[in-house]
Amino acid sequence: MSPEQILLIPKIENGFVLDHIPAGSGVKILNLIRGHHELNAAVLSVGLHYTSRRLGRKDLIKIQCGELPQRFLQHLSLVVPGVTIKRVENFAIARKIVLEPPELVDNLLSCPNPGCITNHERGVTTCFHLVRREPMKFRCNHCERWFALAELENRLKL
Amino acid sequence: MKRDLISIEDLSEKHLRDYLELGRRVDDMSPEACRQILAGKILGVLFYEPSTRTRLSFEAAMLRMGGQVIGFSEALNTSVAKGESLADTIHTVEQYCDAIVIRHPREGAARLAAEVSRVPVINAGDGANQHPTQTLLDLYTLQNLFARIDGLRVSLVGDLKYSRTVHSLFHALSKFKDVRFTFVSPETLKMPEYVIEAIEGAKVDVKETTSLEEAIADSDVVYMTRIQRERFPDPIEYEKVKDTYRLDCAALRNAPEHLKVLHPLPRVNEIATEVDATRHAAYFPQAGYGMIMRQGILAHLLGAKI
Ligand SMILES: [Zn+2]
Repeated sequence: MSPEQILLIPKIENGFVLDHIPAGSGVKILNLIRGHHELNAAVLSVGLHYTSRRLGRKDLIKIQCGELPQRFLQHLSLVVPGVTIKRVENFAIARKIVLEPPELVDNLLSCPNPGCITNHERGVTTCFHLVRREPMKFRCNHCERWFALAELENRLKL
Repeated sequence: MKRDLISIEDLSEKHLRDYLELGRRVDDMSPEACRQILAGKILGVLFYEPSTRTRLSFEAAMLRMGGQVIGFSEALNTSVAKGESLADTIHTVEQYCDAIVIRHPREGAARLAAEVSRVPVINAGDGANQHPTQTLLDLYTLQNLFARIDGLRVSLVGDLKYSRTVHSLFHALSKFKDVRFTFVSPETLKMPEYVIEAIEGAKVDVKETTSLEEAIADSDVVYMTRIQRERFPDPIEYEKVKDTYRLDCAALRNAPEHLKVLHPLPRVNEIATEVDATRHAAYFPQAGYGMIMRQGILAHLLGAKI
């Protein structure tokens, strides 16, 4: 990141940087953060439409909090796979992971198929499996339909 | 571990061949011997939507294996109509019986039933999704008619877009060796791309045509399907295609001697009754093979040795 970009968004002492967010997807992540009540009190800094060598334009979000909830990370991997998460400790990057799409999506989504039994029974646990990577497809364990990520991102069980 | 039969997608080629072998063993048994196999066992038959043929076939299969049957054939007057959840119904019925056969209008219902049930569950149709015993009986019929499945030339005819029977049969047959397919359908009812792309790894030989006669000349098996009115979002679309393929004796003029015609039944008018008397008609024996296949399935899932 160039010096003038660093000026655009303040450094944080402790927390997480969500980086390499394709431009436009930052807003989706903000909505996701809003849906996870554990993160409601966290201080956020948001940068949209930075220039990026890899993505052309990218979004960036900094979250000041102790931990990112596991369920939030799983949802995030479905909404914007490929995001880089950097753990910041004492103003320095302590760890870095690239969020891969999950092989198994355990009760994080409701099924987009209106005829699927999971949309008609109370308290059912849903399950989806990654069945194809290019283009990415997930299969509902119950109705066996295949879905693209775009069909799933507004089906998160928050 | 409890055995269920929920989806043909769960079964490998080996599983499929093992099921065919089970059918053969049942067929080799005397009726008296059969009646000992599941004596004292009770099958719960839960049909949330009517399907007389499938229900009768399961019930006959259970009775011939010496077992007994309880159940309902539509959900109208049951606790279900009063809003009971599927899970609660299963937890209740599993107290009464040793295995459950379920037919349900919602996709995934049988999978859910199997997840909550402590007794084996057999899927007899879950909405537009799966009907695995139909597929197994289709395979068993082919095995009996041709003494093999590998290498057969199979034409799938009619509604290839909405017919789950055809989708499952296509997937199952593609697990065997060198089965060659011809898809015969109107333009608007073609085999969907997602059905073809779901057979990962297997390389299949597929030809598409709109001409039934052309396909017949080049086939060992013609699998006819009914074009079902209820599957069409638009009734005008249904009217346009409903009588596209009608198999009669004239259409069978150039059929190979050994060609067999199958149909999951009930037929409406896609096969003329004059075909019934020809050597090609195999759809009624198919129903008979179906019962035998289901006898084998019941014995296997209930853990009986045959
Ligand atoms: Zn589903």
